[in-house]
Amino acid sequence: MSELHTYSITEARAKLDDGSISSRELTESCFEAIHDQDESVHAFLETWKDEALKEAEVADARRANGDRLGVLDGIPLGIKDNILIEGRRCTAGSKILENYVAVRDATVIKKLKAQGAVFVGRTNMDEFAMGSSTENSAYGVTRNPLDAGRVPGGSSGGSAAAVAADFCLAALGSDTGGSIRQPASFCGLVGLKPTYGRVSRSGLMAMASSFDQIGPLTKNVEDAAYVFQAIAGKDALDQTTADAPAFQPAWREDLTGLRIGLPKQAWGEGIDADVRESVLSVVERLRSLGAEIVDVDLPYSDEVLAVYYVVVPCEVSANLSRFDGMRYGVRLQGAGLLETYLRTRGELIGREPRRRMLLGAYALSAGYYDAYYKKAKKVQTLIRNAYQSALTNVDVLLTPTTPSVAYGLGEKVNDPLAMYLGDLFTVGANVTGLPALSFPSATKGSAGLPVGVHLTGRMFDEATLFAVARAYESSSNG
Amino acid sequence: MSLTREEVASIAHLARIGLSDEELDRTGHELDSVLDYVNRLQRIDTDGVPEASALPVDAGAFRPDVVDACVESERALILQNFPASSGDLLKAPAVFVQPKS
Repeated sequence: MSELHTYSITEARAKLDDGSISSRELTESCFEAIHDQDESVHAFLETWKDEALKEAEVADARRANGDRLGVLDGIPLGIKDNILIEGRRCTAGSKILENYVAVRDATVIKKLKAQGAVFVGRTNMDEFAMGSSTENSAYGVTRNPLDAGRVPGGSSGGSAAAVAADFCLAALGSDTGGSIRQPASFCGLVGLKPTYGRVSRSGLMAMASSFDQIGPLTKNVEDAAYVFQAIAGKDALDQTTADAPAFQPAWREDLTGLRIGLPKQAWGEGIDADVRESVLSVVERLRSLGAEIVDVDLPYSDEVLAVYYVVVPCEVSANLSRFDGMRYGVRLQGAGLLETYLRTRGELIGREPRRRMLLGAYALSAGYYDAYYKKAKKVQTLIRNAYQSALTNVDVLLTPTTPSVAYGLGEKVNDPLAMYLGDLFTVGANVTGLPALSFPSATKGSAGLPVGVHLTGRMFDEATLFAVARAYESSSNG
Repeated sequence: MSLTREEVASIAHLARIGLSDEELDRTGHELDSVLDYVNRLQRIDTDGVPEASALPVDAGAFRPDVVDACVESERALILQNFPASSGDLLKAPAVFVQPKS
């Protein structure tokens, strides 16, 4: 079997450019790996072999003519099943959208097509992106390719598993509370949640609109920067995309002058010993590269998750009201209109999304709105201010991505609060809108499983996150 | 605080989600554990603190509010996605019930 599928984007690009491999060979190699292993991993809900090979051939023909559309030309990618590709099925892991065919391309897909990217398939996910383990998909569980008895994380677990298993060179995920970074951490990958407003959400099925961002899951830091650069930018179809200077990588080997903050509140109890030790070894390496490590105070850390679990269900209850079986998706006909709504939404939407819709409907209902939603939005202001103040003294904040390494299948599925608490380190970036990146520590945790290091940066300063992670990656490879 | 079965039924009705008897019993407990957790927010002094704006930054991408035609292939896909149709006619359940005679 060919090994081309094990390449990173950076490696594949070099070989495509010097003509030693073709995109068709690269893509075929990915499909061989999928054929051999995806029955057990179940990263993909659907693959598009014929179309992908055709896209690859077109990319090869372009290259033969001396044209190259972009850095991702001819590169096979996986796409999370909540991002629309025109004419292709898109279900968000839900039965209610089992037969839904996307009417148009998401803006990120348009951008990737303009780069000449090849689409391998759509990846499994927790239904409507709600969950942290990819055990909540209506289409079955995805397994962690590094240990089949463990979860890959979620909700972008299919995307993470697909990249970790070398089924594609990189993948897109979406992140509302850690759904890119936590699976990246569990699968030993790099995952970025861009600054809110960096990447257009047009064509992403909305979960919590004020927190959602699309971002990359990749095998190394440089790849993540390429994919991010390809999908970022202001978009007339998403009014929340911001006027910001275009992203340019700013790599550095020496971190002298850089200040890294360790939030006191985050480094308290609740982190497994192996994770703590592994992440602290990264801190020491960064220090030896010249970075100054300082303890910082980050008040309201205990409230971040509470704000998240009020605001998100409220937005979910509004956003998911559109799935009612009227204009698209599956309709379960009842005796009348009300009965049709109740059956369609009750029987075709899974337990976790229904739980959150109910929570949101409750928190927004008369008499409770002030106590829950309004209060949470005020505390959100305090949290934003606390992060902003911490980030005036340091360039980035560093914590573990998750309190533990990947846990076993079925371990937390019946305890929503325990599952929610696993998001402790990642939700802050969504509540504040700040960019955040997870990259793997070179020191493995228990059972030889990867440990993720989490960096949070200033608004629109993804470049510093990439630079720190890349400096570490280069030094630990060398 | 604890959500009663009646409260759960009322929220489920508002959200147009059909719940079985077993789910009506279980959902209250599940929501209670989350509500207990988020109640920690009540301890925070937020006097004079404004609610967070929807966007952490100024929105940049305003455009004129004009109708943008959809191409035929899009129209075909939209119609194809409709759960029930007859040719170009789209079927939906009646909004008004038959008046009692």
